Amino acid sequence: MFKEYFSIAWRSVTSHKIRALLTTLGVVIGVSSVILLLSLGNSAKAEAEKQIRSIGSNLIFVSVSDPIGVLPSIWMDEIKESAKIAYYSPMVQRPVSYSINGVNTEVTISGVNEDYDYVSSLTMTSGRFLNKLDIQSNYPVAVVGSKIADSLFAGADPIGKTLVINGVPFEVIGEVGARGQNFSGDNDMLVYISYDYALNLFSSRAFMTTYYITSVTEASVNTTLAKVSAYLDSVLPSNSLYRAFSQSQILGIMDTLMSLLTSLLAGIASISLLVGGIGIMNIMLVTVRERTREIGIRKALGAKRSQILLQFLIEAVIITLLGGLIGLGIAYMGAFLISALSDFKVTIGLDTVVLALLFSISIGLIFGIYPANKASLLEPVEALRYE
Amino acid sequence: MGDVLVKALDGISFEIEEGEFVAIVGPSGSGKSTLMNILGCLDIVTDGTYKLNQKMINEYDENDLAGIRNTSIGFVFQQFNLLPSFTALENVLIPLTYARVHRKEREQTAKALLTQVGLGDRMYHKPTELSGGQQQRVSIARALANNPEIILADEPTGALDSKTGQEVLSLLSQLNQQGKTIIIITHDMAIAQHARRIIRLKDGLVESDARYEDFDV
Ligand SMILES: Nc1ncnc2c1ncn2[C@@H]1O[C@H](COP(=O)(O)OP(=O)(O)OP(=O)(O)O)[C@@H](O)[C@H]1O
Ligand SMILES: [Mg+2]
Repeated sequence: MFKEYFSIAWRSVTSHKIRALLTTLGVVIGVSSVILLLSLGNSAKAEAEKQIRSIGSNLIFVSVSDPIGVLPSIWMDEIKESAKIAYYSPMVQRPVSYSINGVNTEVTISGVNEDYDYVSSLTMTSGRFLNKLDIQSNYPVAVVGSKIADSLFAGADPIGKTLVINGVPFEVIGEVGARGQNFSGDNDMLVYISYDYALNLFSSRAFMTTYYITSVTEASVNTTLAKVSAYLDSVLPSNSLYRAFSQSQILGIMDTLMSLLTSLLAGIASISLLVGGIGIMNIMLVTVRERTREIGIRKALGAKRSQILLQFLIEAVIITLLGGLIGLGIAYMGAFLISALSDFKVTIGLDTVVLALLFSISIGLIFGIYPANKASLLEPVEALRYE
Repeated sequence: MGDVLVKALDGISFEIEEGEFVAIVGPSGSGKSTLMNILGCLDIVTDGTYKLNQKMINEYDENDLAGIRNTSIGFVFQQFNLLPSFTALENVLIPLTYARVHRKEREQTAKALLTQVGLGDRMYHKPTELSGGQQQRVSIARALANNPEIILADEPTGALDSKTGQEVLSLLSQLNQQGKTIIIITHDMAIAQHARRIIRLKDGLVESDARYEDFDV
């Protein structure tokens, strides 16, 4: 029996192809944008998490600003002892500009210690990173980011070259692999030198040091963070500012922000689904009116109320489901295009597909029930008289 | 419109036996179609009773009425009332589908009926591809789909020329000879002559009710 309703409804839809298509346009737009936005949001989230994870989720940041700016190494030794810290590196950054053949290039000088490559998971493409001896001997050596060779040395191998910073010549001893962009800028335009050297070079200006600290295990991040904070609260003067947070806290904030943004966009897109639903209801009402005589004939031939209701309800669902499928196709095409044209990979999850199709079926049911019920309630005699 | 109460039928009382061939005649507006709608369970009486097969129809609910229309009554309309986008075969299949007859059996029955009314070679034509007489024969085949006891025909020849009208009429006579109760509405006395009983309505009342026992086609 269900098959018959389906075939009747299918026939009615296909005999008005353009109308059905226009009717379901709202659903098409709604479904495709909801799927695309949800998938985009999920992919962005996954990408961000992957990037942050690759740096390490046992990482803690402690930023100390004026008037202190620096934590004395005795304090750091005590923190390292009491808070179960594996490694740490201070970092102070300053922008420096170079004018090469009339082109201005901004480079960021990062003053760090020999463990920075570990806490930031750096990989070396050539040469070596700063070591303990470099730091202690205060010899002017530098390690450069992956784009520095192109920007400052015209693409030549930077190892052994001299880089002048604030009038001091530094010998380049290593090059770091590409790290990409993050919220603090382009990590490939960094030049790493000894922290103490950096402090001396830029001492005339106020500064802020960020300590990159790794806990011994990922699980102990929170206890380490609490201990570091407790220690700093006890030693720092009350007017000094510091901020301590973990990588996983940033991850959490990013997660919440992304989810919020995604659901906001999906919410806006679902308004078009609602509008699409109202369009369906409108057309179904027109259809019922147009086919009043057909309904009368069917009733005269023995159709029950429920059978008429089901026929029109299925018709509405077919239209919206068709819209959902077209929308799904468009979303897949959109995802394919975005993935092909950018280095952003968008994947549409099966759950998203199922959700969207269930949604389009529901729209058909919700907005089709009123017209279908109206059809089923027609009096056979009246309906047969209708011209 | 709803303010004025129109009594389309008033104070009517008669019985129709199984196997009868009855013509209901009368001037326009005399209540013929109204009577047929009641006999066909398309409409229910506001006052009074209608018994079909010993059953009080006015006590039935909508679903039961739909069931009776589906299996006990076959309608033949003046304007054929075929579904225009369906083929002859598909039109005949509709009542069988509502009766939940199995697909294979359904097709067999419908094809047999169309062959019976002489349209075995026109089964896959749509109504617009058929002549008026052919369309009316499709609707007769459709009326017969669930093998009902009663065929109700409201001016079945009204939209046909006299020759094709005669063909349709002899088809109905044939069915009557096979045992079907035929009730036909007409205002054409020449057509009414085919029946064995003529009920004449006027202003919603039975003016005369005459049997022609000796009359034969
Ligand atoms: N829906 C309705 N509302 C109001 N009055 C109606 C309605 N249907 C029929 N009538 C009235 O009932 C009376 C009988 O109508 P009916 O259609 O039964 O006549 P008829 O004998 O079939 O006429 P015809 O030969 O023209 O088909 C008429 O006076 C008509 O105006
Ligand atoms: Mg009439």
